[in-house]
Amino acid sequence: MRKVVFRGMKADEKRNRVLWCSIAVVALVIALALSLKGSKGLQWVISGLTVGSIYALVAMGFSIIYASTRVINFAQGEFSMLGGMLMYTFSSQVGLPAWLSFILAVTVVTALGAGFERAVIHRMEGASVVALIIVTIGFSIFIRAVAKWIWGTDPVKIAAFLGEEPLRFLGASIVPQSFWVFGFTAVAVILVFLFFNRTLPGKGMRAAAGNPDAASLVGVSTSTSSLLAWTMAAALGAAAGIIIAPINFAAYSFGVMLGLKGFAAAILGGLGSAPGAVVGGLILGVLEIMTAGAFPSGYKDAVAFLIIILVLLVRPQGLLGKPEGEKV
Amino acid sequence: MVRRGIGLKLPVVLLCLMVAVSLVAFGCGESGEKEVYNIGAVLSLSGPAAPLGQPEQRSLMLLEEQINADGGIDGHQVSFIIEDDESEPAKANTAVTKLINQDEVAAIIGGSTTGSTLAMAEVTEKSKIPQVCCAGGTKVTQPVKEYVYRTPPSDAMAIEKLLGYVENELKIKKIAVLHDANAYGTGGADELQSKCGDYGIEIIARESYGSTDTSMVGQLTKIQGTDAEAVVVWGTNPGPASIAKNMKELNMAIPMMASHGIANKKFIELAGEAANGVTFPGGRLLIPESIPEGSEWRKAVDDFSKLYKNEYDLDIDTFAAHGWDAGLIITDAMKEAGTDSEKLNQAIEKTKGLVGIDGIYTYSSTDHDGLSVDDMIIIIVENGEWTFHGAEAEPVN
Amino acid sequence: MEKLEKIDATEKGRNYRILLILSVFIFTVPFWAGLIPGSILHMDIVNLMVLAGTYACAVIGLNLLVGYAGQISLGHAAFFGIGAYTTAILCTRMAWFPTWLGVILGGLVAGIIGWLVGVPVLRLKGHYLAMATLGLGEIAFILFTQLKGLTGGTLGILNIPSLSIFGLEFDTEFKLYFLIWAVVMLMMLLSINIICSRVGRALRALHSSDDAAEAMGINTARYKTMIFVLSAVFAGIGGALFAHFLNYIDPASFTFFLSILFITMVVIGGMGNIWGGLVGVIFLIFLPEVIQGLPHWIPLVPESLTNFGNYELVVYGLLLILFMMYMPKGIAFGLSRGTSYAKTKFGHLRDRISARKYEGH
Repeated sequence: MRKVVFRGMKADEKRNRVLWCSIAVVALVIALALSLKGSKGLQWVISGLTVGSIYALVAMGFSIIYASTRVINFAQGEFSMLGGMLMYTFSSQVGLPAWLSFILAVTVVTALGAGFERAVIHRMEGASVVALIIVTIGFSIFIRAVAKWIWGTDPVKIAAFLGEEPLRFLGASIVPQSFWVFGFTAVAVILVFLFFNRTLPGKGMRAAAGNPDAASLVGVSTSTSSLLAWTMAAALGAAAGIIIAPINFAAYSFGVMLGLKGFAAAILGGLGSAPGAVVGGLILGVLEIMTAGAFPSGYKDAVAFLIIILVLLVRPQGLLGKPEGEKV
Repeated sequence: MVRRGIGLKLPVVLLCLMVAVSLVAFGCGESGEKEVYNIGAVLSLSGPAAPLGQPEQRSLMLLEEQINADGGIDGHQVSFIIEDDESEPAKANTAVTKLINQDEVAAIIGGSTTGSTLAMAEVTEKSKIPQVCCAGGTKVTQPVKEYVYRTPPSDAMAIEKLLGYVENELKIKKIAVLHDANAYGTGGADELQSKCGDYGIEIIARESYGSTDTSMVGQLTKIQGTDAEAVVVWGTNPGPASIAKNMKELNMAIPMMASHGIANKKFIELAGEAANGVTFPGGRLLIPESIPEGSEWRKAVDDFSKLYKNEYDLDIDTFAAHGWDAGLIITDAMKEAGTDSEKLNQAIEKTKGLVGIDGIYTYSSTDHDGLSVDDMIIIIVENGEWTFHGAEAEPVN
Repeated sequence: MEKLEKIDATEKGRNYRILLILSVFIFTVPFWAGLIPGSILHMDIVNLMVLAGTYACAVIGLNLLVGYAGQISLGHAAFFGIGAYTTAILCTRMAWFPTWLGVILGGLVAGIIGWLVGVPVLRLKGHYLAMATLGLGEIAFILFTQLKGLTGGTLGILNIPSLSIFGLEFDTEFKLYFLIWAVVMLMMLLSINIICSRVGRALRALHSSDDAAEAMGINTARYKTMIFVLSAVFAGIGGALFAHFLNYIDPASFTFFLSILFITMVVIGGMGNIWGGLVGVIFLIFLPEVIQGLPHWIPLVPESLTNFGNYELVVYGLLLILFMMYMPKGIAFGLSRGTSYAKTKFGHLRDRISARKYEGH
């Protein structure tokens, strides 16, 4: 017994160390890019961090649901897609003010996420994790098809919140929307981290995933925990989709790419860890822009995936993840 | 236990219902009318190429309605049986086999993409069924396949048009190419590379991007580091719109040129101000004023445009034109040849001076492209509107 | 131990019988399928079954990997693609190259690459393994697209010759059907033999717990790698057959979505049930066609729904969810539970009848 406790403490300590190591790595990569390529490097870093924040937001959705239920939600990208498309409908088609459209869009998607949890996931207690994954894949196919029916296949444009005129400094430029993305990501990660690590319900939810019996002793049922996780993930996903739409447009098919990259970022950072999701997202984003700028650009995704695999071979639980045996 | 009961009963009930209804439907069918002419179509109605396949489907449905309202072909009603290939060549192959074996269609329309078209051609060539495609890739008609025809201007034509403009009007010698990594973009970039020598133009950077990439800044900074005098972007929405925006962000002053893949108003809507100055080759139908007033072609374009607007409340685009023309070419040949596919193929190959929307079609045994470079114009976006390059406005044919 | 072997033997016998019955059914399909008029059926059964056969090769192997060895893979489209490209490149570059050898080499090359990546990657677990295999699949897709000199890039490879074995041409779907399904049945036979053997027992131990299996003296790494390589070989052969069936391949046929389809077939068919893979393949290949056929059979579905190809996917997604909700272990388990239920009920009846007879005496 003592040995287990000891191992747990050590793991915790190690995690902190890894967190700082990862931050150092990110800083190092940024410094390297700057020193090697000057303003071009700065541009890569700025664009990379913007793209990376987008991935980080989606990755956080994966992590929230995973941390509380051990399920990988392959429909997470679709939540973001729906957020963007609904924002377009409410603000551009109906003509509501931006803040109201934002609230409405997030509400609709959150209701959908919570509804899906109650109607399907909740009723599948005891099913294997893979079966649950297939269910989320089915859900993503369904959402995509309905979205295509409603909005058609053409991408749509959503106006940037603060104009589109890029700001320039030190030879690099940045669009104002990027600040929204950075700010939102920062706030989201802090809130999610505090919730899961400093509040009772949050700790309970994490416990619920690891050990349902112990969790129910503390007064958290796996059922509530799962519902709460899905609600939070859907809301976060929708908000992310709305914030990022002005940078990259929105279309019924964009959820697939967001989901894929978000999943990759969540794994790279370590599943179930909010800071991990952000670290993973940022690394992936900067990596993508830099490899596109430095290698033959056709291979840029291959390079990114190769690096993720190599990182996993060295650290099989992701950069900030907790090591644990899992079964399919 | 109860749950499983429902799970088993429901399918059984459904199955019985299906069988019953199909029997009834089979019993009531077959009235005394003349036999219906079936034409199969395999289009990309979903997946990445859906923006191509959907307008094509819309105009085929319009054409079917119009022909049948006018009494059909010699009293035969026409039916387009449309299948979706989900933008995947393998599915196109399966779909076309089904159309030929099961629905016994006389001719095939499609696919929407070069990949699907080539996959389908493997089947149509074997079964000797004429196929009229809506894809631009050079490989489709070079070398000429006995049963495969094309409606849109080929990528090669668009590239000749664009390179001619670059050489003669812009007088630029060095360009960078940034293309979508998919079949359309890669095919275009390859074609550019093989043709640019003829125009004394050099490609000094060739980069690619993914169709749904979030940012193309990496590739663009690389191009910024070269002495390219223009960027040619080969892809379909939304990639080129993102690139136009990114170029503006990066303060890149060199002109952006693009493919006819952005020849719809969506591009302007997406790219906003960044769209201004973007130049691309496109069909004349996009700017009907470029077609001589009073000509048959102008009238066809105006009529089609009105019809399409009435039915769908949408402006026509090039893809709608491809679908319409493909249907038109086949039904026109059917007037003479009926549904015998061998005769039909010969009749299609003899098509001469047929006025479509994309242009005026003339096929021969050595040319299955039908159109010519003059059916295209250079279009420039100015103040959020299309304008065509002045010198090209002369009448053709 | 002896007892376990006995159980395996009876299990094997039972599966052999199922295989025999299934083979008889499968090989008669082409003869009656053509008799149903297309105007009622609205699908080409033989063509779909040939496609299903090529996919089945990959899915049978994947079922061994996921269902028995407990290792997930979201990248099996890569091995399918490697097999397809291997034979396509060989047979189009060298006209004399025997196509049957191309198929075998397709499986071999996929197996070798599977071994090379499997050894390091299989150290990962659960979702991390899923990510790594997904990444490998994406890398393979990018290589298919980018290595233009070898693969023809996005335009793919045209004019792949039809299969022929020692002068016997398989140039029509009808002929190809028998060949491909014979291959599938051989793979099933092999799977049954693996599962009902010492290896199968080791795998089952591995599935329930790595540590326990290690403790029992099972070299888990070796077994995992072995099954991974075997599944890669199966997928490679399936891909090669696919190439010779379509006569045309391009990277768009081997995307992430195909990998997802494979794993969905395994799970919906019945993960860890020998027949699960086959059931899943046939179910998911025919499901979209049946959904598409619905408006022809039931005129109630309004035409506006069926146009613009959107309703199929709505229904498809919903059905996927419903099937997993009510049969979370897959259709094959649902079926076998149904038959055993019927058997016990029927058995009871038989007992009662014989009991009554006895009483009557």
